[in-house]
Amino acid sequence: MPRLFRIIKTAAILGWSAFVIAPFLWALTTSFKTANGVTAGPTYLPYVDYEPSLAAWKGLFGSGAGSIDIVQPFAASMIVTLSASAISLILGTLAAYGLSRFVYKAGPIGNNDLTFFFVSQRIMPPVVLAIPFFLMLGFFGLLDTILGLVIVYIALLLPIAVWVMVDFFNNIPRELDETAMIDGCTPIETFWRVILPNSLPGLVVAGIFCIVFGWNDFFFAFTLTFTETQLLPVAIVSLNSSVTPWWSLSASALVSVAPLIVVAFLVERYLEKGSLAGARK
Amino acid sequence: MYGLSRYKLFFLLPGLLTLLAIILFPLIFTIRVSFSGWDAASPGLNFIGGGNYGRIFSDARFWESLVRLGFIATACVLLEYVIAFALALLVWHQVRLRRLTRVLFLIPMMTTPVVMAVIWRTIFHESLGPANDLMQFLGIGNVAWLTSAGWATVVVILVDVWQWTPFMFLLLMAGLLSLPKEPFLAAAIDGAGPIRTFFNVTFPAMAPISAGAVIIRLIEASKIMETIYVVTSGGPGTATETSSYYIFIRGLRDFQIGYAAALSITYLVIMIVLLTIIAKLLARYLVKSGA
Amino acid sequence: MTYAIRNLTVADGNAIHLDGLDVELPASGVVTVIGRTLSGKTTFLKVLAGLQAVRSGSLVRDGVDLLNIPAWKRRVGMVYQQFVNYPHLNVRDNIVFPLRRAGCTPSEIEAKLTYVSDLLGLRPYLDRRPAELSGGQQQRVALARALVKDTDFLLLDEPLVNLDYKLREQLRDEFRRIFRDSRDRLVVYATTEPAEAMILQGHIIILHEGKVIQTGDYRDVFHYPANTIAAQVFNDPPMNLLEGEIAGGRMILGPSFETPLPAHFSTLAPDRYTFGLRATDLALGGDFSAVVALAEVNGSLTVLHLDLDGRNLVLEEEGVHLFQPGDRIGFTPDSARFYAFDATTGTLIAAPPRRSVSGQKD
Repeated sequence: MPRLFRIIKTAAILGWSAFVIAPFLWALTTSFKTANGVTAGPTYLPYVDYEPSLAAWKGLFGSGAGSIDIVQPFAASMIVTLSASAISLILGTLAAYGLSRFVYKAGPIGNNDLTFFFVSQRIMPPVVLAIPFFLMLGFFGLLDTILGLVIVYIALLLPIAVWVMVDFFNNIPRELDETAMIDGCTPIETFWRVILPNSLPGLVVAGIFCIVFGWNDFFFAFTLTFTETQLLPVAIVSLNSSVTPWWSLSASALVSVAPLIVVAFLVERYLEKGSLAGARK
Repeated sequence: MYGLSRYKLFFLLPGLLTLLAIILFPLIFTIRVSFSGWDAASPGLNFIGGGNYGRIFSDARFWESLVRLGFIATACVLLEYVIAFALALLVWHQVRLRRLTRVLFLIPMMTTPVVMAVIWRTIFHESLGPANDLMQFLGIGNVAWLTSAGWATVVVILVDVWQWTPFMFLLLMAGLLSLPKEPFLAAAIDGAGPIRTFFNVTFPAMAPISAGAVIIRLIEASKIMETIYVVTSGGPGTATETSSYYIFIRGLRDFQIGYAAALSITYLVIMIVLLTIIAKLLARYLVKSGA
Repeated sequence: MTYAIRNLTVADGNAIHLDGLDVELPASGVVTVIGRTLSGKTTFLKVLAGLQAVRSGSLVRDGVDLLNIPAWKRRVGMVYQQFVNYPHLNVRDNIVFPLRRAGCTPSEIEAKLTYVSDLLGLRPYLDRRPAELSGGQQQRVALARALVKDTDFLLLDEPLVNLDYKLREQLRDEFRRIFRDSRDRLVVYATTEPAEAMILQGHIIILHEGKVIQTGDYRDVFHYPANTIAAQVFNDPPMNLLEGEIAGGRMILGPSFETPLPAHFSTLAPDRYTFGLRATDLALGGDFSAVVALAEVNGSLTVLHLDLDGRNLVLEEEGVHLFQPGDRIGFTPDSARFYAFDATTGTLIAAPPRRSVSGQKD
């Protein structure tokens, strides 16, 4: 029986792993193809099924005809994601500390309601906000600008920062804050000198979530920008609708997800250090 | 404690006010717009009372999209939960395996869903994509992935499962690792096999975490739109058109802004009510089962 | 100069932690606050530190209500029962943290650091992180940080509770040594153990359910507990309390439990009373009998929980005496050591003549 179980287990893990890797492998081979490798039906192995070429990869950096400029959208995505994440992290961490340590009361509204308000923003379907954002950014002349997008992204990422950090702060014993205050720290000094230095793991998690969700957004970038500013996901998708060869498509797609795969490795490293896994067992 | 008030405000207000400013105005604005007849032909904020809302009642396409959304979201979350739990259970005890699989499983979650959707589209291309090649290899023959209603739905679900099972996997894994060891030792001493242990110890102990993970995923899954936009464009026909996609079409493609605004508000209210009910039900179930 | 605390009430909704507390504290020396768990000790300390909001009350010194001063402006040091240190700083930075906040010069800091780390034997550990130290060492670091600055209050909330027995004894003695010269500050030490209170030899405040039951010099409180609650809180094991009556010149504690009236009860009227007797004032062997319900041996002491016709008695005796639950034993109460409390209110009516506590000189 245990034998059978092990076979099933290995099969399951291998099977799922294959499923996970499959799209990347496909994109990888496809990126080296030319017309012959695509139009006659699916092909898989370079040199065996088709003649590989680096045309797609060379074209990524905006040289020659039929090429795509990936660098510009990549940079734009970086700027927008990092700025919005940084601001959301700062404002969100401050708010989370307040919600964790102090008692707020405005009529019937208390801490739990406020936390719920922050976190529940995630329920908001993007489509509900798309139209008003479209109209309002237009009103302020912020359509198709980096600033406009950053503002919108802050609204998306702030709740994430608050959600992660409130939980994290709640796990830091209050006695630490108290000791700092007795030693002469005002609440702000307590936060800055004592709590923050001990909050690195939480900040990292919140930061990663913000960056990933920000980088991966398509919808708002799609509806709120056109030509001046283009974020990476939008750039890739717009290739989809035009008559772009599959190989360029695959190459661009791989380039756009590569940074995140690197981040995934770093995150796993960090998780294993025990900081996030929770259990030091 | 004395002297805290200004500090309290210093911490909370910047974030709270920013969020309110960015979210509240658009929301109120949307409500106002929903009472207007703004569309491509007559742009501008007039007032037509509840006209848009009345139209929603008889808009079969909207209600169908809701049902479709319910089906797709539930299917996705259920599959993701089962697969993730199974994988987590298989890998939980062995550290090295855990690390390797954790990286592997982490990757889909971190990638840009839209970009992956572009790749999936090429995979499921009915004549040039490897999916049908595989089907032929297995002796099943060509499948009309994107041109038949049923299969298109399957594709959408499959893509979502690929993308988000890792998320469930991480949450459930963290949960499993944080369980106290004693009940498991007790079960082992009582001679319980793996299946009995699962149903009597593991699953009940994981109930709160399972509920949390399911709720979070449900909330996110209900917003599904980008995948559909890229892979199926809501089709064939309206076979994979979820509510978000429908509202998007009405608002930003047909430019019937007033009506789309009304749809948005209605959709938002329905979502909040439904999700709150589900959350409360799950919470009560947890309390009853003594979690 | 004293601290006058008036009508101090701390409540959280309907849960009352401190109930209209009225007490005076000296400006310097050692005060031991003793009470059961949840009696309000921690809350009381937190009010002194400025960490607890109050519903009403005042803490006045020289006409100034200190409750209006935020915690970071008060001059307080506090040691918790869960060793609290700054995890991200080494021991040296932990200790001098408050001095840096106060803006002391480097030479001042160095001087005070040297003094305190020598006092508590922390010199070899200055470059380590708290996480690398044992529980006892961590608590010493916390104490060092509390001692290093000039404060009005030094608050300790059951600081030894999480340490092992040997360490506790060792640190208790060190405490006595360190606190002895507290001429410029008030040490407030919270504990549940009467033994600690006796070792510290300070002024005692007994707290029960958020109220002050008794205050006084430790010897007075020991010999003259104000009521049955004080008698139980300030003795370990708690004082035995038995309902009984005085009639016909005898003390009647139960159907088979009577003794002639002790001399110090001779002025008492025949009536119902609650009689108290310490566990140490019951001796093994004798005419009265009871059944052993539980037998404990602690080091070289034997503590027997007895069942006397359905009532509980605790007997403590030197030496190791082995008994099984169910054994019937004989015992003798030392009638010269009985206390008499009012049967209804529990107030002290008569106490045995004073003698030195367990042989120690007063």
